[in-house]
Amino acid sequence: MILLDAGPSDWVLFFGHFHPILVHLPIGMLVLAFIMYFFSKEQNEGLRQKSISAIFLWASLFAFISCAMGWALSQTGEYDEDTLFFHQWLGISTGVISAILSYMAKFWSDEKTMMKLFKPVLWVSLILITITGHLGGNLTHGSDYLTAYLPQPIRAWVGMEARAEAAEGGAIIPKIDNIQQAIVYQQLVQPVLKQKCWSCHNAEKQKGKLRMDTPEFLMAGGEDGVIIKAGMPLESEMIKRLLMDASEEHHMPPKGKTPMTEDEIAVLQWWVQHGADFKKKVVAMPADAKIKTILAKYASGTSATEPYWSPVFKMSISEADEDDIASLRKLGLLVNQAAKDQAFLEVNAVNAHGLSDKELSELSSVQDQIVRLKLGQTKLTDNFMSQISDMPLLIQLDLDHTIVSDKGLSALENLKYLESLNLYGTKVSDAGLMSLAKIKSLQRVYLWQTKVTEAGVAKLKKMRPGLLVDFGFKGKWPLEIDTVKVEEKAK
Amino acid sequence: MEKIFKEAIENEAILATRRHFLNTLGTGIGSLALGSALWNCQTSSKPQNSAFKIPPHFGKAKSVIFLHMAGAPSQLELFDYKPVLAKFDGKECPKELIEGKKFAFIRGIPNLLGPKAKFAQHGKSGHWISDHMPHLATQSDKITFLKGMYTDQFNHAPAQLLMHTGSARLGRPSLGSWVSYGLGSENENLPGFMVLASGGKNPDAGKSAWGSGFLPSVYQGVQCRSAGEPVLFIQNPEGVNTDIRKASIDAINSVNEETFKEFGDPETVARIAQYEMAYKMQSSVPEVMDISKEPEYIHQLYGTKPGEEAFANNCLLARKMVEQGVRFVQLFDWGWDSHGTSKSGSVDYGLHQKCLETDRAISALLIDLEQRGLLDETLVVWGGEFGRTPMQENREGKTLDYFGRDHHTDAFTMWLAGGGIKPGFSFGETDELGYATVNGKTSIYDLQATILHCLGFNHEEFTFPFQGRNFRLTDVYGKVIKPILA
Repeated sequence: MILLDAGPSDWVLFFGHFHPILVHLPIGMLVLAFIMYFFSKEQNEGLRQKSISAIFLWASLFAFISCAMGWALSQTGEYDEDTLFFHQWLGISTGVISAILSYMAKFWSDEKTMMKLFKPVLWVSLILITITGHLGGNLTHGSDYLTAYLPQPIRAWVGMEARAEAAEGGAIIPKIDNIQQAIVYQQLVQPVLKQKCWSCHNAEKQKGKLRMDTPEFLMAGGEDGVIIKAGMPLESEMIKRLLMDASEEHHMPPKGKTPMTEDEIAVLQWWVQHGADFKKKVVAMPADAKIKTILAKYASGTSATEPYWSPVFKMSISEADEDDIASLRKLGLLVNQAAKDQAFLEVNAVNAHGLSDKELSELSSVQDQIVRLKLGQTKLTDNFMSQISDMPLLIQLDLDHTIVSDKGLSALENLKYLESLNLYGTKVSDAGLMSLAKIKSLQRVYLWQTKVTEAGVAKLKKMRPGLLVDFGFKGKWPLEIDTVKVEEKAK
Repeated sequence: MEKIFKEAIENEAILATRRHFLNTLGTGIGSLALGSALWNCQTSSKPQNSAFKIPPHFGKAKSVIFLHMAGAPSQLELFDYKPVLAKFDGKECPKELIEGKKFAFIRGIPNLLGPKAKFAQHGKSGHWISDHMPHLATQSDKITFLKGMYTDQFNHAPAQLLMHTGSARLGRPSLGSWVSYGLGSENENLPGFMVLASGGKNPDAGKSAWGSGFLPSVYQGVQCRSAGEPVLFIQNPEGVNTDIRKASIDAINSVNEETFKEFGDPETVARIAQYEMAYKMQSSVPEVMDISKEPEYIHQLYGTKPGEEAFANNCLLARKMVEQGVRFVQLFDWGWDSHGTSKSGSVDYGLHQKCLETDRAISALLIDLEQRGLLDETLVVWGGEFGRTPMQENREGKTLDYFGRDHHTDAFTMWLAGGGIKPGFSFGETDELGYATVNGKTSIYDLQATILHCLGFNHEEFTFPFQGRNFRLTDVYGKVIKPILA
C-alpha cells in the first residue's frame, strides 16, 4: 500500500528535473539547421545537405530524450493537464519531424520534386518547436510570465488590463482608502496569495496538487487534504506552514522564495479565524489591537516593507576625477564615496568651517557626483547657492549656521532630488519658505533658530502637507509631572 | 652629483610638513588594516587619503548613540504592557513556564507580579508607554520598539559583553570599535568612538565593553569622565608647555616610526596615531566636553547641571560629540537592576527613580538631534542587557520586602530611533504574561546586524582576520531586522 501511495520514484523525478535543461539542445539545433538552410553561403550543395541532415538527426535524438525526461517530470502531477497534453504531443511531433527532415536531407537531396516539400516541412518544424517551447514556458513560469511587464501603451493597445500600480516601496497591497468597507479576501488576502503562492499553485502548475488561484480551489485543498479550516487557523495547514520556522522543510513559501511578512501572515490568520469568507468586509470581522494596527497601515499606505531609497541611487553616473577629489581634500573637506563601487560623493566640511565661497567654488569639479553636502558653519554666502543649484543629484544639503538668507534659497528650486534641507541657525525668513515649497522632492526641512515665524511654518505645511518641518522644540519642560514628588507617586 | 641628490632629499623633507607626515601615517592605519585583511600578515604602508572610509552600501545612519541601561530595566514596567499579567498578580507562575529554566535568583515556584506602573497609548504610533517615562511618551512617534528581544546570558557581565562585542566571553572587539574601524572618524581631532559612563559605577563587563579586542587598539573606545577632567592626564603636567609637549611627542613618534620601519608591526602605527590624537585632543576634548557654555534653554530641555556627574549631562555631551562628527558614542547608566532587595532596587520606587534621572534627558536628546537635523543620520539605541521576569523575585525562596523582578532572557524590549529606522513602529510581541516572544523574535546578533546595516555594512562580510580565520561581530548568527528599516 505504501508503495502505491509513494508516487513516482526519486529516479524518475531526478531525470525529470533535467528536462528544462536538455530541451534547449534540440531547440538550438533546429534553429541552427534553419539558418544553415536559408543563409548558408556554402557552394557545395551536397556538403550543405549532409550537414543539415546530421544536425536534424542529432536534434531529433535529443528531442526524444527530452520527451522522455519531460514525461518523467510530468509524473509529479503538478502541471495543468490540458497544456501538458499539447506540450507533450507537439514535443513528440517535433522529434518525429526532425527525424523526417534528416532523412529527406540525406536521401532525397537529388530528387527535385521531393525536395520541394523540404522547405514547408522545415517551416512546420520551426513553428512546432516555437509553440512547444512556449507551452513549456507556460507550464514552468505561468502563462502571464512573458507579458507580466508589458509596458502600458502596448497593454492599452492590445486591450490588456493595466498592471496594478506598484504601491510605494513595493508593497503588495496598495493604499486602501476606505479600509472598513474593503472586502477582506479580495483586497487583503488574495493580493498576498497572488504574489507569494500562485507561482507554484496555479492553473498550469500545482505543487502538491494544490491550486490557490480561485476561492473554490483554495478551499478544495491539495494532495494532503484541505488547507483551510474555517475558524481554526492553527489547525489549517496553510497557516501552520506559514508559521513554521523558516528552517523547517514544510515551511511556506519554500526556501529561495520571498517569505511572507508578519503582517501578511497575521491578516491571513485573522481571515481564517473569522470564517475564511470570500465576501465579508473588514467592518464585519472583529479586529483586535494588532489587526487594527495592520489595517491602519494599509489604510495609510505605509505597509511598504522595502526601505525607501532615493531614485538617485538607481542612476549610473561617471566617476569624479581623483585629482579633483584630492585637491578638495587639501582644503580640509571630507570627500568620500557614498558607498563602495559607486561614484556618488558625500562632502562634509566638519573640519573646515573656515571655508568661504571662493574655496568652496572648487566643488564644481565634482558637482555631478555630490549627493550629500554638509557645509554647516562655513562662511558661505547666498552667492554660493547658484553653484549648489548646479549639483543635480543633491539629496541632502546642510547649511546650518551660515548666513544664507531667502535670497539664496530661490536658487535651490531646481534641485530635483533634494530630500533634506538643514537651514537651522540661518537668516532664512517666511519669504524664503515659498521657494522651499517649490522643491517637490523635499521631505524634511529644519528651520530652528531662523527668522521664520509660526505663521510661515503653518503656511508651508499647508502648501506641502507631507513635508516634515522642524521648527525647534516648542514644548515647555519640565513637564508638570516632573514636579510630582517621587515619594508620593511610589505609594 | 652627490650634492644634487642631497639637496633633492632635503627639499623633499622640507615639503613634507609634520602635518603631512602624521596625516599619512595616522590615516594609513586604515590601509594597514585593509592590507592585513587582504594579504593576511603583510602590511602595506601605502597611505590612504583620508581616515574616513567607505561603507559597502549607502548608510542612512552616519553615527550611533547607544544608551545602555546597565542592570537591565524592566520592560514590564516601561513598554511591554501586559494587562493579563495584572490580572494574575500574586498567583503562582504556571509550572510549564519555568520547568527546566534557570534563573539568577528565582528558586522554586515564584508568584507572578503585575505591572507596577500605569500604561497609556501615546502618539500616532499608539505605543504603550508607562507613566514612568512621561517625557519619552511625547516622543513616541520617533521611536521603534523591538519587543521580542532575547539573549542567552542571564548574568550582567556576560550579557553586556554579548550585547557590545557579540560574545559573552572576553576578547572580542566592541560594536563601537568595529564601527570606527569600518568608517573612521569624521572629525580629525576627536576619536571615532567615545564612551561616557554616568559615574558611580562602571558596567559589570568592565572596559571590555568598549575594548578593541583584536582590532588595532586605536579603535577602542575613549572613556570620558563627565565630571572633573574629561580625560585623565590629558592636560600638560606642570612645567610643561605646549611647545615642549609637541616636541616630545614628535620625538617619540619619530622613534616609533623607526621601529615600525624595522618591524612593520601595525600596533606601532596605532601608537603613533594615539600620540597624535592625544595631542589634538588636548584642545578639542575640553571644548567638546564643556557643557557650561550651552544656552540655558538647552539645560532646561535636558535637565542638565554643568559640573555634575550625571546621565543627563552625558546625553547632552553625546549630542555635542555627534554634532562634531564622532562616529559612535556609548553611554552607560547603572542602577537598573531591580531585584526588589532594597527600596532603590524595586520595580516601583527604584525603577521610577532611574526613569526620573534619564527620561527627560533621553527625550531631550531625541528632540535636540531632530531640531539640528541630526536625528536622520544618527541612530539612537536604548536598552539593557536582558529583560526582567514576569514573576516576582523570591530570592532564596523568600518573599522580598520590595517588588522586584529577576533577570530574564526570553523576552525584553529595546528601542531604536533615527538614522535608517522606521519611526513610530513596533516589532515583535510577547505572550500575554510577557514571558516569551511569540512573534518577531530578535536576537542580540540581529540587533547588531541591523545597526551595522544602517551604517552601510553587511554584517556577514564585515570581517577581520585573527588567529587564522576571519572574525565578525555577529559570529555566525544574525539577520538584519528588515521590517524596522525606513
